[in-house]
Formats: sequence, structure tokens, C-alpha cells
Amino acid sequence: MAPRYKLTYFDVRARGEPTRLLFAAAGVEYEDVRITFDQWPAHKDSTPMGVLPILEVDGITLSQSMSIARFIARETGMDGKTRLERAQADAFVDELEELIPKMAGVVVFPKDKKDKEEKSKELDKLIAERLGKCEKLSGSDGHLVGNSLLWCDLVLFNIAHNIEEAYKAGTMQDYPKLTKVCDTVKANPRIAKWMTERPAGQFDF
Amino acid sequence: MAPKYKLSYFDMRARAEPTRMMFAAAGIDFEDERVSFDGWPAVKPTTPMGQLPVLEVDGFKLCQSMPIARFVAKETGMAGKTNIEQAQADAFVDEIVPLLPTLYDVAIDFPTDEAKRAEQAAEFEKDMVRRLERCEKLCGSNGFLVGNSLLWCDLVLHTVGDNIENYKPGTLKSYPKLSRVMASVNANPKIAAWIAKRPDTTF
Repeated sequence: MAPRYKLTYFDVRARGEPTRLLFAAAGVEYEDVRITFDQWPAHKDSTPMGVLPILEVDGITLSQSMSIARFIARETGMDGKTRLERAQADAFVDELEELIPKMAGVVVFPKDKKDKEEKSKELDKLIAERLGKCEKLSGSDGHLVGNSLLWCDLVLFNIAHNIEEAYKAGTMQDYPKLTKVCDTVKANPRIAKWMTERPAGQFDF
Repeated sequence: MAPKYKLSYFDMRARAEPTRMMFAAAGIDFEDERVSFDGWPAVKPTTPMGQLPVLEVDGFKLCQSMPIARFVAKETGMAGKTNIEQAQADAFVDEIVPLLPTLYDVAIDFPTDEAKRAEQAAEFEKDMVRRLERCEKLCGSNGFLVGNSLLWCDLVLHTVGDNIENYKPGTLKSYPKLSRVMASVNANPKIAAWIAKRPDTTF
């Protein structure tokens, strides 16, 4: 029987990976469709908003990466134990989300060397600002919120991984509580397994 | 007895207005604190992330405008009837809300240099048309963005749409389904009463 969920995104981590990490952590099967940038123009008009990712479920197509991730978090019980926890998780995601496109602008799509340097300066500032706020509010026991793995932890983990591996290794050292959250995610056996199996992607981002 | 909720924001509609409208629609009493720009430096360190709005509830301070609005939407039954409806409502908000700060920058806090102002306005309008067209395409046909009842995404559209109309009157005429949503919000008696009595601000 076909999986209930079909996720379509580019062949990168970026905005699609939090949802993939959620499926992995919850042990939920899904169709992981990846479109190369060359294939995209032919696909674009078949999507509701002309953007990826999209999630097809029960005959409906959902758009917007974080709305999709929150939906799957709800479906898999990883959005938060109480209404307050869910709002706190949302707030962390809102604070972190902008780092993905801003980093893509430096790591994947810079126009030229000068553009890359300028954007790097802006990105450094943004990283310090956003991770600084999250460090201040983060829980101290390896979870951003409460005492269980939530989708916000996976959003952070995805971004931190890209910062360390694709941008500036050693950045996360300044954020001990956030580092603890990422270590907790890495130690999750299902996530660890996904990370060894997941495709390398068209870009390492 | 003191209200259960205290919402703190600047003396503007903008990012806090959907939440205020939800309290109004649900008939829920709340403390509507408005912080002046002068008073802000003293308030800033008391906020979780150095930003407004903040919602105090049950001794806790929630931050980030859309998580706050979504939280109140769930409290007031305006988040969406099913998980899927909630995700669809979220997606509309994700699409519409980015227009708020960029609209503010062209309508209120615009550059003094005329050429820069025109360039910024042109960019804004291009982005605005793109987003409104996407929302029009996916919008329900019965006066609600999603499903068949007023949800928080309709109030976010109303807040942004209202400001768009102040900036360029007549814009929303090109989007008939979205215009019907605006009308649904205006026709809700409790929201209409709130709109009539709320402080009059520029944005």
C-alpha cells in the first residue's frame, strides 16, 4: 500500500529536511520525492503556490515548509505536550527559520565573491542574533522546550548542521544549551540511522 | 478579577491585531497594553526575545506574533477544524504576513529619497501581487480562506488587506474571493464592534 504522505522538494535538506527528520524520528513511512533544479520549471505550475516543498496527504496538497512541518509534528505527537509548549516551539521555529534562506544565499547561491563576503557579514550578524536569543530561552536538559524531542529541536538541528558543515565550523561552541539540544537529536537512534541513509543531495545544504 | 490574558504591543494594529480581533470575536476579556516608542527601552529587557508582541498567560510570557496568534486561535476555536485545515490556515498566514513589514516600509517608514522610495514601492507591489494572486487562487469561494468558518488566517488577511487599502485604495477589487473574506470579517458583529471602538492608529 502506498504511504499516506508524499513530500516533494528539491534534492537538498534546507526547508524540506525538518519534515524528513520528523518522519524519521516517528518511524513513519513517506514518499520522499526530490526534484532537481532542472526539472523544476516543468513541475512548478502543478503546485498550489508555485513553490516547494509540498505535502500530499488524503487527496489534499499542503504548502509552506514550516506549516507542513508543524502539521507532521502534530500528526506524530512532536509539536508539544501542552498549548503553551506548542506556542513556545512555534516561537523558536519563527526565530530560527530565516537562517535557512540567508545561509543559502551565502553557501549555495552567491552571485560573486563580493556578494558572498557581504552576505557572510550579514549572516554572521543574524546567526549571533537568532542563536543568541534561542540560547537564552532554551531549556538546559537537551530540549528547547519541555522534556521531549519536538519539531523545533529538529529545525534547530538542521540549521546547526548546515552552519557547522557548510558555513563556519566551530560556531555552535558559543551556544552550549543549543549544542546540547543538537547532541540529543544526534543521539536519537532513528535520526542517527536516517543521517547515514539520507541522500547526499544536489547541494550539501 | 484580572483578565487571564495580557497582550503587550506598540500602539499599532499590525502584528497584534489578529490576536486582538480573536479576543473580540470570542468575547474574551484581555488587557490590551500599548507600549509607546519612548517607553519601549525600559520594557525591552522584560520580554523573552527583546521584541513585541508578548502575551502573558498563566504566569508565562509567550513571544513571536504568529505563534501568539495561533495559540489564541486554538484557545478560541479559530485555528481550523482538522489538522489539515490548521495546516492550510498556517500556509495562508505564512504567505500573507511577510507583506506587513514591507508594506510598513513603503507606506509609513519610507525612504526620503524619492527615487529609492519609488524603487522600494515597485518591489513591494510586485511581491504583493504575487502573494495575493496565490491566495486568491487557493482561497475558498464562500467568504473564508479555509473551510466554512472564520479562522485566524482570515483575520491576518483582514489586517494586511486593510493596510493595503489605506496605501492604495481599490487594490483588493482585483481579488474577488479575498474581498469576500474581508467582507465576512467586517460582517462579524463582535469584530465590527471592536473595529468601531479600537484605538485609531496609522498602521
